Amino acid sequence: MNKTFSAAEANGALVQVSQLSKSFANGAGFIEVLREVNLKVFPGELLAVMGPSGSGKSTLLFILGLFLHPTGGSYHLAGREVLHLNRSAQAEFRRRRVGFVFQSCDLLENSTVYENLEFPLIYAGVDRRERPALIAGALDQVNLRHRLHHATNHLSGGERQRVGVARALVNQPQVILADEPTGQLDRSNGHLIMDHFREFVKGGETAVVVVTHDPEMAARCTRVCLLEDGVLYER
Amino acid sequence: MRLNDLLYVSIRQVLRHRRRYLGVVLAISLGVAGFISVITMSRDVKRNINRDLALIGGVTLIRLHWENAPFQKPQWFRDDTISDLRRLPGVDEVSPLAQTWSYSIQQGRKYPFMLLAVDESFWATRGFWPLKGRLFGPEEVDGRQREVVLGADLAQKIFGTQEVVGSLLEINHDLYRVAGVLGGLVDGGLSDAAFLPLTTAQDRIPGLSLTNRLYVRCFTWDDVAQVAAAIPGIVQAHQSPEHLRVEVFWEGLKRVRHVVWWIESFIYVAIGATLILGGLGIWNVMMAAVRSRTREIGLKKAMGAEDKDILAQFLSEALCLSLSAALVGVALGRLVMEITGFILGSHPPEELFLLCLVLGLLFAVGLGVGAGLYPSLMASRMEVVSAVRYE
Repeated sequence: MNKTFSAAEANGALVQVSQLSKSFANGAGFIEVLREVNLKVFPGELLAVMGPSGSGKSTLLFILGLFLHPTGGSYHLAGREVLHLNRSAQAEFRRRRVGFVFQSCDLLENSTVYENLEFPLIYAGVDRRERPALIAGALDQVNLRHRLHHATNHLSGGERQRVGVARALVNQPQVILADEPTGQLDRSNGHLIMDHFREFVKGGETAVVVVTHDPEMAARCTRVCLLEDGVLYER
Repeated sequence: MRLNDLLYVSIRQVLRHRRRYLGVVLAISLGVAGFISVITMSRDVKRNINRDLALIGGVTLIRLHWENAPFQKPQWFRDDTISDLRRLPGVDEVSPLAQTWSYSIQQGRKYPFMLLAVDESFWATRGFWPLKGRLFGPEEVDGRQREVVLGADLAQKIFGTQEVVGSLLEINHDLYRVAGVLGGLVDGGLSDAAFLPLTTAQDRIPGLSLTNRLYVRCFTWDDVAQVAAAIPGIVQAHQSPEHLRVEVFWEGLKRVRHVVWWIESFIYVAIGATLILGGLGIWNVMMAAVRSRTREIGLKKAMGAEDKDILAQFLSEALCLSLSAALVGVALGRLVMEITGFILGSHPPEELFLLCLVLGLLFAVGLGVGAGLYPSLMASRMEVVSAVRYE
């Protein structure tokens, strides 16, 4: 997939990165983690990015989530170049267009499920009266509405990850980025999460990028890419 | 992030971690309560200390008298002069006094003594109280009654005991009922003196001088210099101030002020130290909170929080802490003020308390912002990736 996209080819892509590279400094010099990566993700796609540990999968995902700045290349999200935006505008993009699911079932501790799902809405400026319906809707999508006011530390690992997915969904983003979302779950819970992602992209207007090293989960995606030594290959 | 959301989230956070913040809140509230107590009650407390210190040093007492030289027309304090002196700002009591030598014959023996004619304000002005019986009041003075108060030594000398209340004493061929025996820190030979109501003495004691001596008691030592400076002008408005002597115990006053300055300084330093400790406490708990909530900060940024949202949240939590501590402190301060007021029998002006309340809250805002700013800035500048990977 080492091919540079033309503007015409980019039409319709939700995510498009070209010649993306990222290197980190260490004591001895620079480590190149991503090398001229080109990638397009279209609406309706459930893309799996596979690769061995240290291959740069999470780094790629963090760049797509605008958490990291690449060393070179360009990145268009929903048709707009986003790397040159300031921090505030990037945060605005994250709020409106991107949902992120972390590997370690990261939820806000000492909080309820409702509060966890409320924060993205607070930051997006959604009116307090509109929030309960949106939160209930997101929990419906992961079949956890009955856990609405439960404390997060009373949830099982699978439930915590599904709350994480619901939190990514609550702002109705265009793209969900998931960093090994099934890595700490058993098989059945892992499949449940993948079911939610498939449901999410079914309408054909949204996309999910999942980083995984589990071939069984990757097999449930519509497209699989392989990242090795910082180079991305289509599989 | 909207303001109401910010407040709601911050208050919820502070309440959830209330045990962590308890010590800090307590320190700040004690500081604020101390500040309010000192400011609102200091004048009344100082006045009480003045009274007690005056018994030892008489530093708030100004002595006025005429140096009546021979062959000169004797001078005395007119009633309107005394009235105006009583109205002078900073003056607590004014006591006129006249004196002469007299004697009493008891069982054939003659006892000479100094006879002082005073009114009811004399006792409070000089800080005396009854050792036995009572000291005569306005009724006895206005009614020109024949009552006498004896110094303890004089009572002992004449009667052989201090249990003399109700006894009759002959002075200048008149009989007087002994009302009480003088107590307190009696100085200057007053223990060997007898005291008559001024009006009674003026009617009955021949050779009694006119009121050529005045004692002026000031509220606090801060008033002494100002009152002493104003006295000649007041006197001049009604009579010639020539040969008037105004005596102030300047050296004693200076020393007392010096001692109290140190005490006040220690109190203010203690309050300041408490508040600074409270501020450091806020800084410390906020730094600890930023560290322990690093992943939370990363998560919130991943959800779309901007740097300013994180800054506002931590700053608002610091403000919630300092303001709630200040409110507790204001309530405590009010309680102390009421109790002290009850004990001292006084009540400071309500405006002074309101001023302290506003100052306390403003100080709390300053403390919250000052102590919470650096940890909040640290939190807001965190990078998402390092924050969410923080262990």
